[in-house]
Amino acid sequence: MSLNRLGILLRKELWQGPKSFIFIWGIAGPIAISLVISLVFGTLFSQEPRLGIADQGGSELVALTRSVDSIATREYATVAQLKQATENGAVDMGIVLPEGFDDAVSAGEPTEITAYVWGESLAKNRMVLAITISDLTRELSGQQTPIDIESVTLGDETNIPWTDRLLPLIVLMAVFFAGMTLPATSIITERQQGTLQALVVTPTTLEDVILSKALVGVGLSLCMGVLILVINQAFGAQPLLLVLVLALGSIMAAEVGVLLGTIFKDVTTMFAAVKSLGILLFAPVLIYLFPQIPQWVGQLFPTYYIVQPIVDISQQGAGWADIATNVSILAALDVVLAGVLVYLVARLKQR
Amino acid sequence: MNPGIIRALAAKDIALFFRNRFFALITILGIVLYIVIYFVMPSAVDESLEIGLHAPVLPPVFEQLSGEGLVFEQIESVEALADAVADGDYAAGVALPDDIMEKFEAGQKPLVTLYFRGDVAEEVQDAVEVLIRELSYLQTGQSLAVETTTEVLGTDMLGEQIPLRDRMRPLFAVFIVLFEMMGLASLITEEVEHGTIRALLLTPTTVQDLFAAKGLVGVSMAFGQALLVVAIVGGLETQPLIVVTTLLLGAVFVTGLAFLIASLARDMMSAMGWGTVTMIILVVPAFSVMFPGATSTWAKFIPSYYMVETVYQASCFGVGWADLWQNLAILLGLGFAAMCAGIIVLRRKFQ
Repeated sequence: MSLNRLGILLRKELWQGPKSFIFIWGIAGPIAISLVISLVFGTLFSQEPRLGIADQGGSELVALTRSVDSIATREYATVAQLKQATENGAVDMGIVLPEGFDDAVSAGEPTEITAYVWGESLAKNRMVLAITISDLTRELSGQQTPIDIESVTLGDETNIPWTDRLLPLIVLMAVFFAGMTLPATSIITERQQGTLQALVVTPTTLEDVILSKALVGVGLSLCMGVLILVINQAFGAQPLLLVLVLALGSIMAAEVGVLLGTIFKDVTTMFAAVKSLGILLFAPVLIYLFPQIPQWVGQLFPTYYIVQPIVDISQQGAGWADIATNVSILAALDVVLAGVLVYLVARLKQR
Repeated sequence: MNPGIIRALAAKDIALFFRNRFFALITILGIVLYIVIYFVMPSAVDESLEIGLHAPVLPPVFEQLSGEGLVFEQIESVEALADAVADGDYAAGVALPDDIMEKFEAGQKPLVTLYFRGDVAEEVQDAVEVLIRELSYLQTGQSLAVETTTEVLGTDMLGEQIPLRDRMRPLFAVFIVLFEMMGLASLITEEVEHGTIRALLLTPTTVQDLFAAKGLVGVSMAFGQALLVVAIVGGLETQPLIVVTTLLLGAVFVTGLAFLIASLARDMMSAMGWGTVTMIILVVPAFSVMFPGATSTWAKFIPSYYMVETVYQASCFGVGWADLWQNLAILLGLGFAAMCAGIIVLRRKFQ
């Protein structure tokens, strides 16, 4: 293996790569998916009832509603905008606070709130919003709560928001989408077009070519993994440890990509296989999504050893001592895959 | 145009389509998956907040307020209440003290204990606390001089909410026809790449025969599958003729788009690239139906909006021709325009 030739091949891959659909999609895909998931699960799947307010007199009730965690509040400049938003379902209920509302409430004088209710709003959302407005208005009027409340939490389970639960899925997609498909499609295309054969009759070896493709896959995969964690503000307190795990995960992704590239003869068959066998790669994140499934099942799949340390570091604040075992297994899996690849490349060479 | 040639070409295209393992596999898997997803999802909407209540003495307001959106179920003992909450039978448990009424009368603050499972969302805990506080205000006769005028915007669906799975029908229909668009585009691209189209045009086959055959295959594949899935998931129970017409017009539209994509694509990978980008854009309106308020009026500028909205209105609300003819007319116009544009640009590519 020549480092000089490897460098030339790497430059060629980096120059040609960005022109391919897979390269562009490897970057755009995970970002788009991450944004869609944040939108859908971060906001839309939230259980919070949504309250819209058109405040005509600078009421303090607006600030009070913002301080309540059980509802989501949006402000609208005009009543027409508020009505439109309620009609579209952007909010469950829209209220119009008249001028002098706070003064009237404080003085115990009669006043009026106009409430627009979205026809498709759930009964419990309407009820929660109505009592919250009432409760906050009482606070505004200075009424004293007639009870003391003590909350007791039962069981060891903790509520993991959907955005956190989906983080491993997004990271794994980012790492594998680019890291796996780029080397795989590149090798298959070069085999189909005959350029791989043409290259290996020069002093360049098959190992040089495949290593350069794998390195581009590792680089892109690592960059995308880091980018997705940055976008999701999930870098935690141990960024270097996270980069280490992502690097080992990227190596695994590129190795799987080279494996597919050497096994399959055309891109269509490769994609069909990925479609049906992709469940093996994504099984640990699916298991993590559903706590009802025994979590030990995830350990049977190789990608668990990428996902779990990432979750431990970014969401639980784990350090090296907590993730050392899983990271060691991940490194060992990378070495085993590398061994398999050496054998497969040798066979490909013979053919 | 020669009907014999068109028939032979259509039969060849269908055989080729299913020979492409990638598209054949995702087509069948997709149909099965949509149907499975539909039947796995809940068939009803749970509109109420169910709360377990242990109250040796039941304050009258707790009885009065139990109704729409709020269900209190009496539990014999505090232990049974805690067990029921821990088992997830209720969103929360409320234990009122024996002497609650005496304390209210004496102007003292009774201690109310709330039980939550550890994995219950924070907003639910806050909502229950607000609810209990509000009930205590009412019980102690603390009134508010605020009058609320309520207006429901749109059809009031209280008690008749549409389950998410039924809202997903248009999404299924759009996904299916869009996958067919990718299938047809890649089929044409493959033929252009392999030179079979040029070879065909050297025979008595005319360009018109070719387009008629491709159009026929595209429309019937997209329409047939969408119709099958929509029928199985109950989308034809109300206004079946409107739903069928919409699916047919949608199939014509995506066939025209498939021609356009095939004319832009240089190879299979770029056909998939353009197809994916088109698919992402066209799928957006389906989200506006699933998650009302997520998109605003700009979604109307995406052509698939008219397909999604029509299927949704007809199958979920039974809206008729008088209200939906404009959508269908726009869809017809879009289909005609896409087909004409697709044929013109693809014809130039062939020649």
